[in-house]
Amino acid sequence: MNKQIGYLFSTVVIAAMLITACGGGATTAAPTAAPATSAPVAGGIDCLGAKAGDTITMLYQWSGQEETRLNEILKPLVDACGLVIKPESTRDQALLDTKVQAGTPPDIAFWNTAQLVQYEAALVPMDKLGAQGENYADFFKAPGTVNGKWLGLPVKADIKTIIWYSPAVFAAKGYAVPTTWAELEALVEKMKANGDVPWSMGMESGDATGWTGSDFIQDILLVKQGPQYVLDLISGDVAYNDAGVKDAYEIYGKWARDPKYTVGGAQGTLSTSFLDAIYKPYSDPPEAMMVKQSGFAGGEVAKKYTDLKYGTDYDFFAIPGAQGLQGGADWMMAFSDTPAVRALVAYLSSTEGGANWAKSGFDLSPNKGAAGNYIDPALIKKGEALANTKGFTPDIGDTIPGGFGKAEWTALVDYVNGGDLDAALAAAAQVQAEATK
Amino acid sequence: MAAQAEQVPSIMKQGRATPWAYLLPALIVMATFIVYPGLNTFYLSFRNTGNTGWAGDNCIAGEPCWGAFENYRYALTSPVMQTAFGNNLKWILLMVSGTVLLGLLIAALADRVRYESPAKAIIFLPLAISFVGAGVIWKFVYAFGSGQVQIGLLNGLLTALGGQPVSWLTEPRINTVALIVVGVWMWTGFCMTILAAALKNVPTEIIEAARVDGANEWQVFWGIMMPQILPTVAVVVTTMVINVLKIFDIVYVMTGGNYGTEVIANRMYIEMYTSFKTGRAAAIAVVLIAVIIPAMIYNIRRFRAQEAAR
Repeated sequence: MNKQIGYLFSTVVIAAMLITACGGGATTAAPTAAPATSAPVAGGIDCLGAKAGDTITMLYQWSGQEETRLNEILKPLVDACGLVIKPESTRDQALLDTKVQAGTPPDIAFWNTAQLVQYEAALVPMDKLGAQGENYADFFKAPGTVNGKWLGLPVKADIKTIIWYSPAVFAAKGYAVPTTWAELEALVEKMKANGDVPWSMGMESGDATGWTGSDFIQDILLVKQGPQYVLDLISGDVAYNDAGVKDAYEIYGKWARDPKYTVGGAQGTLSTSFLDAIYKPYSDPPEAMMVKQSGFAGGEVAKKYTDLKYGTDYDFFAIPGAQGLQGGADWMMAFSDTPAVRALVAYLSSTEGGANWAKSGFDLSPNKGAAGNYIDPALIKKGEALANTKGFTPDIGDTIPGGFGKAEWTALVDYVNGGDLDAALAAAAQVQAEATK
Repeated sequence: MAAQAEQVPSIMKQGRATPWAYLLPALIVMATFIVYPGLNTFYLSFRNTGNTGWAGDNCIAGEPCWGAFENYRYALTSPVMQTAFGNNLKWILLMVSGTVLLGLLIAALADRVRYESPAKAIIFLPLAISFVGAGVIWKFVYAFGSGQVQIGLLNGLLTALGGQPVSWLTEPRINTVALIVVGVWMWTGFCMTILAAALKNVPTEIIEAARVDGANEWQVFWGIMMPQILPTVAVVVTTMVINVLKIFDIVYVMTGGNYGTEVIANRMYIEMYTSFKTGRAAAIAVVLIAVIIPAMIYNIRRFRAQEAAR
């Protein structure tokens, strides 16, 4: 009896060991399609000495379809060099922080600009890894450069300085797309006079509540003050409670706090989720005429109202009078210098890498190679706007480290909720001063 | 004597080191997960943002500065922390009294009905839900639709009765109370269970005797039951105070600390994981511990007194 149990037990243990061994093996095994040689050039892709079976660990925030698209983009490289990508997807930045602080960072992380500053000491410069800088406009390299070191490669961009509307509703009500800021203000007044609610400004987003509003503020700054002013705010040369910023908050607040200008007035702005806000111009009857939201909003409209067509039922126009675009970018940063990482950096920064990114439809690529390769009509229009822009300013809140983003949102939320604007801006300016001194 | 000692098997003899050997695993765990992190937090609370120097480095010229205690200046005097202290006080006053009084009421009433168990089970059920889950559920209850329809339960009721919808979570005068209601909903069951057990332990002879002497139910409750369960009430109250001081999840999920609903623990999280200001987060943690310690000492004393009485 005892013997039998012992036998059974050891069988189970051995089986378990085999299973774990197999499991471990499966993840590290080279793909079957890996070529036998590590020829330097295969289909225009330079493997830079990376061998079949070399692994790259990655951490990014993408999941689902986004992840599929990334794999599509990386496939030529993986196939050509036999690299094994070991990705980890999370939206929890604490995970990345923990890994970096523990000294076990991923080889590659795709994250925000603020992390370039935060992890400055741990990152390997892009030019050292062989990134092809000539494929990027200066205003895309500048935010990725920290203390003279080029640490981040912008791989994916989205433009924020746009307003979504319904061409069908505009036509039916006799509204025209404005071409100057004065025309936009006049249009808003005309809508209000007609009894239409011009804006949908909902900005609820959990502990990130406020980002929709801070995007809007930054767009107003681009119109009224220009891109250099925004960059000066980021560098700390202009304090966040400067008169120009206050002016932008007041323009925003006039709309965001009044139910005649925005759905639900101040409380509607604060408690409507940013996603619901995107839907409002497209409901039946439309609850609002316009929503200022980044490029991704089009995809959300298409998902929610599957029968609406881009171009006739929903479309966007650039904020009239804006000098340069505001946009967000996802930045690739490298924590280690291996042949496989070099091959990846070289590929994604190459003309071909940019073209493949554009073809996959995974938002915009700041890479010049992307031009002319977009397939989706909305992306073509956005891509043109990006290619022709005179300047590109990153999100102020994302770029200043040390919690400025949160402070900016708090100021905005307090102001919209009826708080004193001077006090709100002074508190944010205090955080800005601490972060940029 | 000597003969007797020889009869004891050697395995039963304990050297000086033996108790320590038994204690060792627990001590290692305590040292690794409680003592070391605690001391390190205390140390970090005097350091600057990147732990590269003392906290005084964070001072800005022309602003007030407490030198190495700069993080404590923030933790004790900044407007946002003052809001947090005020709100935590509101939480303690309303949630502790709410849960304990409701728990006591339900325990006393449920004692007298036939369907006691199902009634108590229903009250206890919310405790099985995670804070985050409860936060999400109540976010729907409080939802404020700026558009044509009210999907929130409360606003749905209000508008059906002809009232105006209220933005429960953003209106500074009511939002903290709205959050506390969620906490009370979750924790009343906990207080009820413990208090109900204490009530059952009150000897029936005394109660019967009181009734025979002509005491009414009100007098029985206040004159006989309450003095008997008072030590339990004290333990429940202090436990709840500690619980409430740590309150984080409900606030984080439902308002993110916006609209004037900030609490100490949420601020600590934001400083740590949103702003990456380790020093400030550590200072807030130390302040929080300092506030909690008196409640803990009181709880332990009560517990010892109770043990001694047995």
